[in-house]
Amino acid sequence: MTPNGAIVFAACAIVAIVLSDGLGISLLYALVVLFSLSEVGPRVMGCLRRAVLVMAPLATFMLIIWVGIVGRAPAEIAADVEGTREAALFYVVVVAARLFLIVFLVQAVAMRFDHETPLSFVRALNAPPGAKRLAILTLSLIETLRNAVDRAHTALVAAGIITRAISFRNIGSGWILVQTVWLTAITTVTARMRDKWPIENTLGLLGPALDGGKQRLTFRDWFWLVLTLTIAAAGHAWSYLHA
Amino acid sequence: MGVCMFTTQRLILIALCAALNFSIGSIVYLIKLPVYFDSVGTILCALLIFPDRKAAFVCCLTCALTSTVFTGLLVNPFLPWFVGTDLVICLCAAFLTANFGNTFRARPMQPVKFGSRVLIAGIVTGVTAAIVSAPVVAYLFGGVTGSGSAFVVAFFLKTGQQLMNAVLLSGLTADPVDKTLQVLVSALLFRATPADFIAMVRGTPARV
Repeated sequence: MTPNGAIVFAACAIVAIVLSDGLGISLLYALVVLFSLSEVGPRVMGCLRRAVLVMAPLATFMLIIWVGIVGRAPAEIAADVEGTREAALFYVVVVAARLFLIVFLVQAVAMRFDHETPLSFVRALNAPPGAKRLAILTLSLIETLRNAVDRAHTALVAAGIITRAISFRNIGSGWILVQTVWLTAITTVTARMRDKWPIENTLGLLGPALDGGKQRLTFRDWFWLVLTLTIAAAGHAWSYLHA
Repeated sequence: MGVCMFTTQRLILIALCAALNFSIGSIVYLIKLPVYFDSVGTILCALLIFPDRKAAFVCCLTCALTSTVFTGLLVNPFLPWFVGTDLVICLCAAFLTANFGNTFRARPMQPVKFGSRVLIAGIVTGVTAAIVSAPVVAYLFGGVTGSGSAFVVAFFLKTGQQLMNAVLLSGLTADPVDKTLQVLVSALLFRATPADFIAMVRGTPARV
């Protein structure tokens, strides 16, 4: 499977998941499981673990809100009827199942290409050069910001302005930390743009490094795409006939 | 147009502000505060590029969309449905908040003027964002997304409000506060940004 095929497949599947219900969702679950087993293999457990890590807190949160506090489903609220916690629970299960499938799919697609570096993945995409450049720079600067947090935190702890443990002083000096992180990031970026990158010709090399993406969709890409569209259409037809 | 608007410096600023949105927004989402705090970088981007209003709008919209894609894929699956809200935040940032840039950087600080400008920008952005987000939250997600503001929706539903009303009231309660805080943080970060960095981004000679 190619990165372009994976992106198109994931986009089509996500739209289908959002628009489907009942049998459609069940069929899409089967499709995503089939996709992850055939494309990711035994590492599918890793995708499952990550999807659970993302979704478990969210599902718990929705349970607290709908079942614990509100106590009725949105449809019951709209109809202005008493409502039950069971209906609220059913609603949360349906929403959580839909979101879980989306998260699992994204994880499976990411896992499919985890042997590639972000640079090689982005290079293979059929996207405008500016968009590719922006994606790579953003990924790089997320790390820069993470480093800036570490540096600023260490410096302020060493200066005695904040403490490592939770304390009231940290609340008072929190803003200094935020400001220091921003200034550290700015200084790093400025230094790179003025000194490091011109010497190394980084931006000049980035252009050719991101050239690519002319790869056509393969048979395997088309197979998953057609299967997704067929399943989505079948789910909709079933819903329409049984409405 | 595209070539001169997306200079290397601006491209790097967009990426930096998108990374800022991603970092702060993800932390706030994960600890379920009743605010969002996912547009500080977007507003800051508009403030830093400002005199060229069109560039400010296009760059901060690019920044918002980039951070939405990354946060949506990695942390918050609800976020990509709120691109309409991103658009109005960018419009407010480029055409309203950025006008107050001189006040935000004035030395010494004029607290009353500074505070009033932050309030105006925050409330206008908050109310607009709440109105645009409400139909998405109500009709697409039944009133509850993963953010802490869902507690406010639940409170209004508990008081007997209809779903759309509850979502709108929750938005009108939480969003102006959230956006005012975001404008405040952006304005203070803008104030702290070195003049030579701003000059580099704007493509003008440095001015202290």
